[in-house]
Amino acid sequence: MMPTSYEDGHISVSGAGGGSMPGKKPENTAFKQQRLPAWQPVLTAGTVLPAFFIIGLIFIPIGIGLYVTSMNIKEFQIDYTGVDMSSPCYNCSQNFSWNSSRPCACSLPFYLDQPYDSNVFMYYGLSNFYQNHRRYVKSRDDSQLNGNQESLKDPSKECEPYAWSSSKPIAPCGAIANSMFNDTLELFYNDPNGSKVQIPLTATGIAWWTDKHVKFRNPGGNENLPAAFQGTTKPVNWHWPVYELDSDPENNGFINEDFIVWMRTAALPTFRKLYRIIQRKNNMVPTLPRGNYTLEVVYNYPVRSFDGRKRVILSTISWMGGKNPFLGIAYITVGSVCFLLGVVLLIIHHKYGSRNNIAT
Amino acid sequence: MQAVLASDYSFAQFQYLRRLLLVHGRWSYFRMCNFLGYFFYKNFAFTLVHFWYGFFCGFSAQAVYDQWFITLFNIIYTSLPVLAMGLFDQDVNDQNSLRYPSLYKPGQQNLLFNKRQFFLCTLQGVTTSFLLFFIPYGAFSAVVKEDGSNFSDQQTFAVTIATTLVIVVSVQIGLDTHYWTAVNHLFVWGSLIVYFAILFSMQSYGLFGLFPNNFPFIGAAYNCLSEKGVWLVILLTTTVCVVPGLVVSFLKVDLFSTLTDKVRYLQQSRKRHGPQEQSLRRVRRTSSRRSGYAFSHQQGYGELITSGKNMRRSTVSSACSLEKTTNGSNWIGNVLKRKNEVSCSSQEFIAAPEGNSSATKTPRQQRTD
Repeated sequence: MMPTSYEDGHISVSGAGGGSMPGKKPENTAFKQQRLPAWQPVLTAGTVLPAFFIIGLIFIPIGIGLYVTSMNIKEFQIDYTGVDMSSPCYNCSQNFSWNSSRPCACSLPFYLDQPYDSNVFMYYGLSNFYQNHRRYVKSRDDSQLNGNQESLKDPSKECEPYAWSSSKPIAPCGAIANSMFNDTLELFYNDPNGSKVQIPLTATGIAWWTDKHVKFRNPGGNENLPAAFQGTTKPVNWHWPVYELDSDPENNGFINEDFIVWMRTAALPTFRKLYRIIQRKNNMVPTLPRGNYTLEVVYNYPVRSFDGRKRVILSTISWMGGKNPFLGIAYITVGSVCFLLGVVLLIIHHKYGSRNNIAT
Repeated sequence: MQAVLASDYSFAQFQYLRRLLLVHGRWSYFRMCNFLGYFFYKNFAFTLVHFWYGFFCGFSAQAVYDQWFITLFNIIYTSLPVLAMGLFDQDVNDQNSLRYPSLYKPGQQNLLFNKRQFFLCTLQGVTTSFLLFFIPYGAFSAVVKEDGSNFSDQQTFAVTIATTLVIVVSVQIGLDTHYWTAVNHLFVWGSLIVYFAILFSMQSYGLFGLFPNNFPFIGAAYNCLSEKGVWLVILLTTTVCVVPGLVVSFLKVDLFSTLTDKVRYLQQSRKRHGPQEQSLRRVRRTSSRRSGYAFSHQQGYGELITSGKNMRRSTVSSACSLEKTTNGSNWIGNVLKRKNEVSCSSQEFIAAPEGNSSATKTPRQQRTD
């Protein structure tokens, strides 16, 4: 009997003997006979072209909004590496060594031509610093940083060679901790009547809440840190041990926020990390009025040896973060390209598209 | 008996061969090629992100993603949708596969997966990895969170790119699947949901508390994915990765449509306009039957074919007619008639007058007997 096209597909392939034996026949269910009800989308002009237009119409306004928001963010950068001879920090950058106990200070004047409102964020930026190098990223001990007592006395192998120093375990161990940024930056406003006013900088609230409260814990609680860190030594390149990072007990030891911010390794070789927050005073007065300012640097961190750069960035923020025109421009570009593609495809479809009319 | 035990397929009657070849064999080839193409694309997109990252991490082989993501990507997050596609996908349903045997040609001509197709899959994978890396790179080079704190760190970068990757490959398999059964829906949406579930549970406090050194990404997913900027980056990257493939597919269907596309279109419009015409044809065709015996049981049709008598244009009715033919041309004639239905005045119609003068087409025609 000839199987017609409309016969149910239950012809079985079975063993010898011709004809199917009752036990071996597959069930005639929709699943087993591949007849499941299904949606079968077909790419037609009626579905694809409107999609392109819709994408274009959605992305272009988003891009414009992002771009305008980004343009409204105010940002100011000042490089204080001291590369040029004319730079105030040139001397500090030159004759510097890790063992130098005499801190070198330099001060850079700058001018803000716009007043900055609301909270202003002060970042330090480093260039050509590969915090994303694999050996560097591995070199830490998260259980030690979480306050685990065994790991405190016996750091993990990953921290080598920054795990032991003069036969004592290093706390915190590892290359990331060892290379912590330790410049001190202070900001002064030069009043029009001549006096220098120090701008108050807030050092807390700069790290992620999950980092400060879950990931990083002091061993044995936040009280009496020198006793808790007994038997350990400071990292090789630090000037002072970890329990002397700040006088505030909530910001000392492993939970020091500058330390936590540094330990969150950056993804790219040019990065910025939050240093301090300048809180807004009230809605009447701009946080940073227009005028002359001075940046006082205690220059501890050497970057010239690997051709790195250091800079300070002052920035306001918005709902989308800091000043970053890339996303706005990208959205506008992609939206316009999609719209254009829609138009081009429409023309091509009209002129050359095959009419899928089969004899029906 | 021994032949049965040693063979891949065995069946009792030659009539079964028709369905095996034209329906199941064709579907199998189609599914296999789709599956392979998608698999290469997915893995190139996943892996080559590290190549681009190498330029920015000192070529130190630092992984962009979380170690757990690398482990689970091919096992949990993307394995089930492609499995469902490989099991259930159909471009044309079984009735139309039998009706238009020319649909079998792409399999014979190795059209769906050859060096060119492989190169195109690879190219798409490389381009996707490029966009997957560089768009977040551009966005993250100077980004901070809403509260000003850092954002451009390794872990946030990893979570963003990983999430984007999973979404892009899921959207891509959505565009590649031609036959969406309930199982496909379950696997595709389920994989996405499972990805987010595992992401948040692995980067939560519980697991970190147990094994701090193995789950260092604590808090990363929550902090990262609660930022609107990150979702805008994900949306942009997904669109940019998917649009070129969509354009190429659309142009292929629109400008260079194959028989498969035409039949699919026909199938869709028939579904919409109801099955009235089909019952008409059914009545007429049952009269043309052929013997259920294998050819070897009688003299066979060899002479009939080689004489070319049944292939003359005159023996077969003119285009688009529904008259039944005489017994002599029977099955071959019906096949030819159906070809006519597909494209009324098409050049595909094999009308070799005598013997094998039009070289390639007639032998193929004979092979389908």
